[in-house]
Amino acid sequence: MKINCLNGKRLFNSLDKTGNKKADSLHKIFKEFGIDFSTGVPCGVLRHIISNLKSDPTVLHLSANRESEAIGLAAGAYFSGKKPLVYMQNSGLFAASNDIASLLIPYTIPVFLVVTYRGHKEDDAAQHIVTGRATENLLKSFKLNFSVYENQNLKELVNGLFVKMKKNNLPTILLLKRGWNL
Amino acid sequence: MEPVKRKDAIKSIFEVVLPNDVTASTTGLISREIFTKYDSARNIYVPGSMGLVSSIALAIAICHPEKRVIAIDGDASLLMNLGTIVTVSAYQPKNFLHIVLDNNAYGSCSEEKSLSSFAKFDKITKDVGYKYVRIVDSVVELKNAILNSFSGPSFILAKISLGGKRDFSRPTKLPEIKYRFMNFLKEQDKIKDK
Repeated sequence: MKINCLNGKRLFNSLDKTGNKKADSLHKIFKEFGIDFSTGVPCGVLRHIISNLKSDPTVLHLSANRESEAIGLAAGAYFSGKKPLVYMQNSGLFAASNDIASLLIPYTIPVFLVVTYRGHKEDDAAQHIVTGRATENLLKSFKLNFSVYENQNLKELVNGLFVKMKKNNLPTILLLKRGWNL
Repeated sequence: MEPVKRKDAIKSIFEVVLPNDVTASTTGLISREIFTKYDSARNIYVPGSMGLVSSIALAIAICHPEKRVIAIDGDASLLMNLGTIVTVSAYQPKNFLHIVLDNNAYGSCSEEKSLSSFAKFDKITKDVGYKYVRIVDSVVELKNAILNSFSGPSFILAKISLGGKRDFSRPTKLPEIKYRFMNFLKEQDKIKDK
């Protein structure tokens, strides 16, 4: 498998402006669960999700320079009564891991994190291999609820994450691999 | 003139905060001193995630434009999240007041020097777009600067001395502090809606 192709479809580095059905249905689920604030650091794999969040007038979107900053902004929004979503790549999950561990978890701040899962197979770019291998272990060691989307029923999967987040008041993670929205 | 002590800087801030103001304070002795002496529903503490106090306060300020939100930051903490001043400038919340207690050191741990003497915080905040920027080195100046900081984003660099009491208690029951703080913000909203 070539790095930028899956089943012959181009996955990456294309900046097509067309919408995406799976991203749209995901956005609908976010809205059903009250998401009204978003921030994060962009990733090409999430671009349809980000563009839906930014163009939705009922979602307050703030830009962040780093993933840690996004975690801080999301915490402030939550204190203010918002329901925050943060997007990032798993590289950023490691960059922000202390902020998740020392701010979100001890304060019990439920932030829904949409995270690109790079390096889950060893055929990704060199800089993603180590974090890819460690991503699920990081989340397990933090005892956080997360799911990897592997073409299951998207609505059921994400509904399940939100329902559990409502109960445990903890950050909850949806991991999306390249090609998730095809 | 004697440099301002941390305890006097913090005391001055809490002498002039208004009942409606929100304060968020940074990691280490700053939060611990505030928690011990001035704990109140309007306070939120950032005991971990050093550097993020300004990001947390910024989001609160944007969500609550009717309330003044005061981030009580340290020099090393701001240096850890310096990009925050660009984010503040991008969104221009008038009600955001960023106070940095600058002792040029990691005062809460080993008292090693920080690099804040090279940072020119006042110049860079002004350059990126904070609307009200003051450097203060007395409690009178600090109080006056706070009292005049209603058309921001505002930045007050308070030069303080290193040292002071260290054996404060720590904010521990964070979920309780969280709910108390969220209720404070909500109650204020109700008053506003009336």
